[in-house]
Amino acid sequence: MKLRSIAMVATLALVACGGGQTHPNLFATDWEDDGGKSISAVLAKMGPAMPEPGADVAVGVAGNSDKLVGVPLAGGSAWTFAHAIDVRPTIAGKIVVAEGGGELFALDALSGRKLWARQVGPMTMRGAGDDGKTTVVTLGAASGSVLLAIDREGNVARQVETDKSLGVPAILAGYAFVPWSNQYVSVLDLQSGEEAGRVLVRGKVSHAFTENRALFFGEQDLFRWDAKIRDASRNQATHIALPQRELPGTPSLMAPGDDKLGPVALALDKTRMYARATNGDPIAFDSNRFYGTYFRLAMAFDAQSTKLAWVYSNKVDLVGGTAGPGSFVLCDEEGKVVVLDAATGGVERELSLGGPIKSCVAQADALAPSPPQPPPPLAQQITDALTNRDSEMVSGQRLLLREIATLQDEPVTKTLIDLASNPLTAPILISDARVALAARRSGGKYMLDALAKHYDFLHDVLLTPPVGPIAQALAAMKDKSAAPLLAAHLLDPADTDDDVKQAAAALVDLGDATEVPALKQFVTLYRASADSEQVASAVVSAGQALLAYGGPEGRKIVDATLADPMTIEMVKTRLDAVRQQFDAQHPKK
Amino acid sequence: MTSVAKGMASAAVVLALVAPGAFAANTNAPQVKVSPTVAADLRSSDQAKIRSALDEVRLAGKASGAPFVAPIVDLLKKGVTPELAQAALDTLADVEAESASQTIADYTQHRNVRVRQAATKALVKTKGPAAIRALQRALSDPDAMVRGVAANGLGQLKAKAAVPDLFVALDHRINEAAVSIGMLCSAQECEQLSTRIGKIPFDVVSAGIEQALFRADVPDDTKIKLLGRIRELGTQEANKFLKEQLKKWPKNGSARVKQALDQAVQATGGGS
Repeated sequence: MKLRSIAMVATLALVACGGGQTHPNLFATDWEDDGGKSISAVLAKMGPAMPEPGADVAVGVAGNSDKLVGVPLAGGSAWTFAHAIDVRPTIAGKIVVAEGGGELFALDALSGRKLWARQVGPMTMRGAGDDGKTTVVTLGAASGSVLLAIDREGNVARQVETDKSLGVPAILAGYAFVPWSNQYVSVLDLQSGEEAGRVLVRGKVSHAFTENRALFFGEQDLFRWDAKIRDASRNQATHIALPQRELPGTPSLMAPGDDKLGPVALALDKTRMYARATNGDPIAFDSNRFYGTYFRLAMAFDAQSTKLAWVYSNKVDLVGGTAGPGSFVLCDEEGKVVVLDAATGGVERELSLGGPIKSCVAQADALAPSPPQPPPPLAQQITDALTNRDSEMVSGQRLLLREIATLQDEPVTKTLIDLASNPLTAPILISDARVALAARRSGGKYMLDALAKHYDFLHDVLLTPPVGPIAQALAAMKDKSAAPLLAAHLLDPADTDDDVKQAAAALVDLGDATEVPALKQFVTLYRASADSEQVASAVVSAGQALLAYGGPEGRKIVDATLADPMTIEMVKTRLDAVRQQFDAQHPKK
Repeated sequence: MTSVAKGMASAAVVLALVAPGAFAANTNAPQVKVSPTVAADLRSSDQAKIRSALDEVRLAGKASGAPFVAPIVDLLKKGVTPELAQAALDTLADVEAESASQTIADYTQHRNVRVRQAATKALVKTKGPAAIRALQRALSDPDAMVRGVAANGLGQLKAKAAVPDLFVALDHRINEAAVSIGMLCSAQECEQLSTRIGKIPFDVVSAGIEQALFRADVPDDTKIKLLGRIRELGTQEANKFLKEQLKKWPKNGSARVKQALDQAVQATGGGS
């Protein structure tokens, strides 16, 4: 026997305290797909059994990872339970299972009352399931895993050790459902200790859990335990997958079931996806929603179209949560628990875990909805999210910026202008905002307001407005009222070369005789001194505008510019082509 | 370098730029003859000829150069390279032609910062309402040198209406504004300047207060109040400043102010 195996047996000896013995053929890899025969038998034995709804509760790891705090979501007193916490606790049905200081223990989820505790040595809990009478827990070590079935008195009713890596188990009607090897779910008869059946899932599976009065398996996709599960190996199981959707941080629905999740939330806990499957046919996502968090942001998406439905901005990082019936529950690092309406994102209720927390798990299985506060319009929600200056948020904000750009609401234009004009905005967001602005066709009044502003050191305007994209948008909108403002920007030395180029180009279409003095001054200043391709292009556009509506004086300026040897060559070549084209279109009578 | 030293250095650079240079006009100097081709050269398209003609006009100075202001202005109105623009602006500055101020003002909006600096400096010499307007606008320029020259120039051009802007400039660390405020301030504005003591480096504010102390049009009561504010500081720096002013105080200057200076020097003598 290898040393590691000896070590595991020694550990198990500590764990074991009576109860059924392990079966040597469990989790055998020479198993052959029986076409659903064994599972059909289990289904028949189980009959119409369905899980009881789980407790509606949020549980946080607090202090110096030396206590659990909980708060019932439907109302009730918050509770605290002092104990060392070494791994992320699990809410299973109506209990909380946690581990620390070598002890595995269970609490009543709504009250925090201790139910039982057992020594488990150095093994770490991966997850648990509970049916109100028995708790099934998987524990992992460097080599192999242990499954325990523990009764309410803390006695081990069944103990299974294996060299396989077991995922998070569930229990229903006396059977333990144990995912392993990322593809199997073994169904153990806890009475006999036999493997009563096995499901071969055509998708990654490392979690079994009960929710919405149904049993599910999965990790990224969800497979439901129902009559169709017998055909899982032929890819016929009732199944639902999260829609493909670009999200910052490429979040996942669940961490691999054999991962050790520490008591302190990491970045991966703050960038998560959440969804709750329904228990009807066809299977769907509750409220037609799936959710994503990104540090301080929570976003809800339409499960059919994947369109952004709403955004919730929090003051501090969101460290955990759960999708509930018609709701989305979130905990933040300060211990605030917020219940949001799935449809609108409006706040239904706010609760407190009593202070800062290290991490959080939540379950909302039967939580009754309450009337939410009306949230602001989506454009305003996104604006609020975009004005958060935390650099950690930039990836999420870029996504939201792309979302907001698809809305034609006029105030969105103002948001984009504000972002692009604010020196505190991350450069990448400024760049994105400028691109989005150029494509806008609404909110012209905000664009004109922005164009009226110039760099002004004395009055702390230290970033010029996004003149170039605004010029492109207003030209496309054929808004001639922009012409004097654009002309003024030709002569603003603080504007970027590209802004000047775009302003001059827009003036070709938008300007009239009123702009001739500014155009003339611009050509004068730069025909011989343009030091970039953009400014040279702007001179050519200004010349084109002078030809178009500058009358004889404009023509004279263009002719003089072309005749002067000091005019830079690029301007001369391109302006000459413009003049020839103009002459061709306007033959002398 | 400390912030105070930096401020002083910045002001010194600006003053040096504004001060007459190697080609500076000197109205008392004998007139220099200008070659007969200068006017034609200025109207040519030959950059070398233009450059040479501009140099000649600069050497000729204010009186002899005056006839060439119009062709130089025409040159700028037509548009030239940045190098020629700077030379033309420097020349107009040396000729001190107010008629050129409007055209020069256009060049304070040039994208080339050296051209803007040259234009701003030139306006201080060419003077006039157009120059003042452009200098006020230049206080908000992105370039610190342009802002400093503009702040200094507004004092030199006695632009009293610009004092509120100069206060904003001073509060935005345009240190050159302090001297100009001291040159232009009303009694109330001078006292307003003294409220900047403690907020802005002492050497910057005191340079403005020094200007006000020696102005005949500032009431003695105001000067005594200014001295009182400095006396309240009680620092060695304040004592040194007060001693210097006492040393420079004119014999026929106000006896009341001198007495206040005497007392302030004594009161701050033991300062740290």
